[in-house]
Amino acid sequence: MKPLTLTYTILIGLLLSGIANMSYAQTDEYKMDGMTFGMPEAEVFTEDYDGPPVVGDHLSMLPNLEPLDYEGNKTHDVRIDIIAQEIEVADGVKYEAWTFGGTVPGPVLHVKEGDRITFTMKNRSDEEVTITQPTKEGSPFMQQVAQNNFMKAKEATMPMPHSMDFHAGTVAKNDKWRTIAPGESIKFDWVANYPGSYIYHCGTPSVLMHTAMGQHGVVVVSPKDGYDTGYEIDKEYVVVQSEYYLKKGSGELFQYDYEAAQNRNPSHVVFNGHQTILHDQPLKANAGDRVRLHFSNNGPSGTSSFHVIGAIFDRVWLEGHPFNEMRGMQTVLLGASSSATIDLIVPEEGKYILIDHEFADAEKGATGTLKAGPRKK
Amino acid sequence: MNILTNIAPVKIMLATLAAGIVLLPAMAGAQVLVPSGSFHSVMPEVKGEPVKVDSFYLDTTAVTNKKYNEFLQDHEDWQPQNIPSIFAHKGYLKSWKNANSDDIVNPDHPVTNVSWYAANTYCQSIGGRLPTLNEWEYSAQLMDFDSPSDAQEFASRLMSWYSTVDNENIGAVGSSGIENSHGIKDQFGLIMEWVEDFKPVIANDLSLDCGTVGRMQQLGNAYSYAASIRYITRMSFTPKSTNSTVGFRCAYDVEKITEKEASL
Repeated sequence: MKPLTLTYTILIGLLLSGIANMSYAQTDEYKMDGMTFGMPEAEVFTEDYDGPPVVGDHLSMLPNLEPLDYEGNKTHDVRIDIIAQEIEVADGVKYEAWTFGGTVPGPVLHVKEGDRITFTMKNRSDEEVTITQPTKEGSPFMQQVAQNNFMKAKEATMPMPHSMDFHAGTVAKNDKWRTIAPGESIKFDWVANYPGSYIYHCGTPSVLMHTAMGQHGVVVVSPKDGYDTGYEIDKEYVVVQSEYYLKKGSGELFQYDYEAAQNRNPSHVVFNGHQTILHDQPLKANAGDRVRLHFSNNGPSGTSSFHVIGAIFDRVWLEGHPFNEMRGMQTVLLGASSSATIDLIVPEEGKYILIDHEFADAEKGATGTLKAGPRKK
Repeated sequence: MNILTNIAPVKIMLATLAAGIVLLPAMAGAQVLVPSGSFHSVMPEVKGEPVKVDSFYLDTTAVTNKKYNEFLQDHEDWQPQNIPSIFAHKGYLKSWKNANSDDIVNPDHPVTNVSWYAANTYCQSIGGRLPTLNEWEYSAQLMDFDSPSDAQEFASRLMSWYSTVDNENIGAVGSSGIENSHGIKDQFGLIMEWVEDFKPVIANDLSLDCGTVGRMQQLGNAYSYAASIRYITRMSFTPKSTNSTVGFRCAYDVEKITEKEASL
């Protein structure tokens, strides 16, 4: 090639790169109402990282909540990589999911109000990543998936641009929630200023498609002084409702149904990513236990009228914030991306069915079981 | 009936799109003239003002592994072991098991895992260039459907294709069964393609925002929704990006082809 042409090509290339690397005006860190705002600018870079896709101490697979084992606040180093993965969401229904960490929903992150999170994410959608091999460097999430691969996760690739939007974070989206290309990584800090349960999802257009393809999860931010109840709870679980919009493709796999997603007509509405998982592996408790559920409706588009058959919600904190306490609720109505922290007393030995009382959704799969053993206290 | 935006009729074989694979002869290297015209971009634009495009020649299919390998023989600088890191990410030609061998795996399949720099250089080396974004989109819209429901069906399948691109099993060029009214194949259904100005200047304003898809609905149909996904995907690339579903085809200025013919 002629040197002149090459020079021209390089110049245009640099120009196009330049557009990709916009810089953002940043605000210095400051405090307001005891909360921390003003995070440093996100870093976008390329790295050779090929280790476990989920790294960090307080990340677990649904419905577990990794306990907080520290006093005061701390900084969490968290990695959740974006990977494509073939998964099963109902008997015989498999599709190539776009995921955070390899499952749908992605790993549950548990932090405390006021904690800082240094978050790293690599867009590995163009890389085959195995999530079912236990690794030393991985998080508890990786061990749990290795022991219980109920989604039958298998490596897949589907290169697409992606991003991360933590609802638990208070930052400028055009910086921290930036879209990164396959092969790129992003790193940024955020502070969990508000207690509660918050969804995270991919914010890259089409946000409907990205979320429906599986890119969502939950961060539980425990209040620094706990909930003002005067009692201890016996069991704590995370339950996430979400919808799939799938239709049979030409081969074995199902694929995204654009029209169904536009028309809010899901093929499956599920708890914890799978149509029957909460029946196959029921939540467990005993009569007389106080059970706490962190329930999040991750959508992308549906509402949820969450109810537990045979129980009344003793206390409900809308969005999980300790100030939003309600008592004696039969059903909690949650729009897409809303959550509630729910305490209930398990009345007696037996089965309690978790259900979206919008029965059309229940019959598409939004049900689960809480199985209670005999009273032990 | 002009469902998409404009222009001459062509029959899209929806059945073959569904089947995914039809073995057509690989037409690598053939170019056809795309006559001048105009189209409505899905990008936000002056209301009602179509984008004018001059006539140009375009390869009927994407550049194949075989063709790209021939280029590498004459351009050692662009072989995987020699390419400077400023011109490509590490994934450059990673799908080639052995990039130094003459035995090219899947010779008739489109070359992928090539950076924009590499694609650009390839086209220049054969007297062409990458098509501009407007040329590519204009050509892609030179299709017509028998009915609005056929168009909707096509767009819907296109959306599904984005969720099932199987980069391990991309077919040969010409195998998508989709072509425009001038015989240009596989602009959909096989791979995504580099264009010269892949990141529109207004990308800054759009900033890949949540509202972007809404603003790209000006045509008000499923096709524009599908096209918006393509624009958005392009905007996240850098010139060094090497993706397993991104390849390219070349375009040629009319004068250059005419000169070439005159000299023969």
